[in-house]
Amino acid sequence: MPKEPEISLAEKTFVLEALKQNLRVDGRNIHSFRDIQFSFGDDYGFVDVRLGKTRVLARISAEIIRPRPDRPFEGTFTISTEMGPMASPSFEVGRPTDLDNTLSRLLEKSIRRSTALDLESLCIVTAQRVWSLRADLHFLSHDGNLIDTACIATITALAHFRLPVVTVSGEDITIHPVTERVPVPLSLLHWPICVTFSFFGEDDDGEMVCVLDATAQEEALREGDMTVTVNKNGEVCQISKSGGVAVEAETLMKCARKAAEKVKGIDKLIASALRGDEIARNKGNLDWLKEGRSENER
Amino acid sequence: MPIQIIAPAPFVTADDEADDEGGVRLDFDNDGDIAMDGDAPRRAAGRQSGGIVTPGEVVTEDPQWMRGHGTYLSQPLAPGGSQSIVSSLAGTISKTNKLLSIRALKFRYVPEIGDLVVGRILEVQTKRWRVDIAAPHSATLLLSSINLPGGILRKRTSTDELQIRTFFSEGDLLVAEVQTLSNDGLASLHTRSLKYGKLRNGVFMTIDAGMVRRMKSHVLTMNTSNGGGEVDIYLGVNGYIYIAKHTTPLTESGGPEGKSVSITRLEEEASEAIYSNVNEEISPETRAEIARIACVIGALAKNGVKVDDEMVHLGYEAALEEFLQGMEWGGDGEAGKRVVEAALAKRMEG
Amino acid sequence: MEGLRNDGRRWNELRRIHCQLSTSSTNADGSSYIEQGFTKVLCNVTGPAEPSSRQKVKQDAATVTCEVYFAAFSGTDRIKRGRNDKKVQELQTAIQKTFASVILTHLFSRSEITISIHILSQDGGTLAACINATTLALIDAGIPLKDYVCACTSGQSTSIFDNEGSTPDPWLDVNYLEESDIPSLTVATVGETEKIVALSMENKVRIEMLEGMIAVGISGCAKVKGIMDAEVRRYGKTRLEAATGE
Repeated sequence: MPKEPEISLAEKTFVLEALKQNLRVDGRNIHSFRDIQFSFGDDYGFVDVRLGKTRVLARISAEIIRPRPDRPFEGTFTISTEMGPMASPSFEVGRPTDLDNTLSRLLEKSIRRSTALDLESLCIVTAQRVWSLRADLHFLSHDGNLIDTACIATITALAHFRLPVVTVSGEDITIHPVTERVPVPLSLLHWPICVTFSFFGEDDDGEMVCVLDATAQEEALREGDMTVTVNKNGEVCQISKSGGVAVEAETLMKCARKAAEKVKGIDKLIASALRGDEIARNKGNLDWLKEGRSENER
Repeated sequence: MPIQIIAPAPFVTADDEADDEGGVRLDFDNDGDIAMDGDAPRRAAGRQSGGIVTPGEVVTEDPQWMRGHGTYLSQPLAPGGSQSIVSSLAGTISKTNKLLSIRALKFRYVPEIGDLVVGRILEVQTKRWRVDIAAPHSATLLLSSINLPGGILRKRTSTDELQIRTFFSEGDLLVAEVQTLSNDGLASLHTRSLKYGKLRNGVFMTIDAGMVRRMKSHVLTMNTSNGGGEVDIYLGVNGYIYIAKHTTPLTESGGPEGKSVSITRLEEEASEAIYSNVNEEISPETRAEIARIACVIGALAKNGVKVDDEMVHLGYEAALEEFLQGMEWGGDGEAGKRVVEAALAKRMEG
Repeated sequence: MEGLRNDGRRWNELRRIHCQLSTSSTNADGSSYIEQGFTKVLCNVTGPAEPSSRQKVKQDAATVTCEVYFAAFSGTDRIKRGRNDKKVQELQTAIQKTFASVILTHLFSRSEITISIHILSQDGGTLAACINATTLALIDAGIPLKDYVCACTSGQSTSIFDNEGSTPDPWLDVNYLEESDIPSLTVATVGETEKIVALSMENKVRIEMLEGMIAVGISGCAKVKGIMDAEVRRYGKTRLEAATGE
């Protein structure tokens, strides 16, 4: 199991000194994200998100199961992450590292616990049949900031996914294939998006340097980090800062506000990417849109 | 932003009107820490009376002090200001000339060269053993650092390596001296003297490492009453203690007059017997006395009194008096406390 | 009941705190016990000692390991939590990361410091009590720390709204009933600097309320530090007096 190579002292000093003067090695502003690129698959619920060189694939799949006995009118939703050597040679399959645990915990708290997905809408027949959704995340390339990328990928995939229409008649449940009935989107109450800040000590003015969207090199050199999950309505869904350098409360509040601001921008990006995909899918077949509308032509 | 926080309903009021000695509590230790009177005790911000410092407390901002163990330098409050020495432990301040260090109330044993320690073998490796001495790292005992049967000047052969378990095996107790220390604190032991080596005929116990005072000799021989005979007590500086029936040293077993031996005799005397695993015959009276001494040492340590030969003797006498008066003897709890107090009282008188 | 919470406290009142050092007489180098209201946590610290596995050896610093055990009877329902339980792992990682940055680990290379926590009763503020207990146990073990790490919880009651629309005061040190009802966060500060070393919030809250919650939490931490410091000094004094024979 090869370990991550240690960063040399010269590199370290260079990067840290540059950050003290608000300059980053790749030329970005300390508060700007890398370019986010989306690419959707043929199936609904399949999205590949790229944040610079970091690449995460998310796929949503659904099946019908018996609900939990203590929650008979709720569906279930699980997120599964597995890191393999494809992302980085230091990851091993089956041996979860700290990063793995942190990632799955943060996604749990951000998306599941904040009820982004309305589980009651997944119910088909109370206490008998519900939809069970599963999000599988595959990490294809690791160049820092896996948490934010994974969250964006999961939310986009959930927003992209379409559930097949189900009709219930007495005891029988009929699942209509895509060709028969147009599948329906999921009921997402809000879109929580994670933003991770990395702390690098104080700059020349005595203020803590907070960097957004750290690359793998910056992550290896950081002294502390904090992940804030916000949605575009200004609600903070979770905050997690475990250890690392101690930071003033003022600075943390500034970061939280910055995160809220950024999330509005990312939200718009996701929405426009989804819209673009929708149009591309139905290019040349805009009659579908017309058939879906119930208005009469005037 | 000043938010007024209401304190919880008082449960235990902390007694804080300790006598104000005017600042620093000086350490009078056998180690020879000399306190410099004449240094005006600097009352740094936040330091309360009573002499205890706690982690994060600024000890002094005076740049004349050098920082020793248990402290670190903090960032200066104002740019261009001096760095202050901050404590990182809970303990008392000790000043030696210009060196300021903190002595913790409790700490793990840190090996020094020349310490006599009692250890237990953890692992047998090729040509050496790994020994547990209650330090941050386990110590090593090299095959070339022990006395081999047949004489100390014998060359180590490959047969010795193959028979390494006949000397020390896993779980054996031994008394040794710290020979060298590597730069990250790994100790290397040796038993190159007839007074060191494998321990038998007795009882092993542990106490806090800080409770053993550093003395000239850590091996005591006590004459016990009630027909117990002589008992050896090995007070390891690391807090590991061994109390055993006194065995005649090998140098005396040979000659009829019991005189000291020449170098050549030594070779013959360092026989196989020093690595034997068989205990001698021990009478019940001796066992009782060994148990009593063990309880006394345990009681001393538990009540915060440092263990040295004087205290062990006084404690033993006090324990005998208790026993003779027919009281319950347990070692810890009330009986132990009484014994310790009686011993301390005796020390005050004597 | 104007201004009083369900257990009779005001918004800025801490629960009763009782803490003890050196509670364990076994092989632990340092131990402590803390009660915050009805939340009871026991902590044992061993080390620095030989690392338990080869992987844990770090060349230039000590490794900090944390193990958390929930007693099955600690919550309202009897639940046995194994080592792979999510909650257990969360607590372990949070505590390990927090203290790895406060312990002066560069002084003990290639050794391991093990923190072992037993949660006997949960009544809100579990993470905070664990952090406080760990600080005390580390001090007891004589392991050098930069400073105290004190933690406290605070919650935002959204039920009462002023007519002017201003936010109500946040509640300090929430108990179990309050925790399940309102959004709350745990904040841990370093000594008296008011700098935050750990912050954990798992509920949804409006960003405008966040500042108030954090501020109240920090003030609560300062108070907790005072209480813990007093106990450490008291304990130190009794030990020193015993050592010199009164």
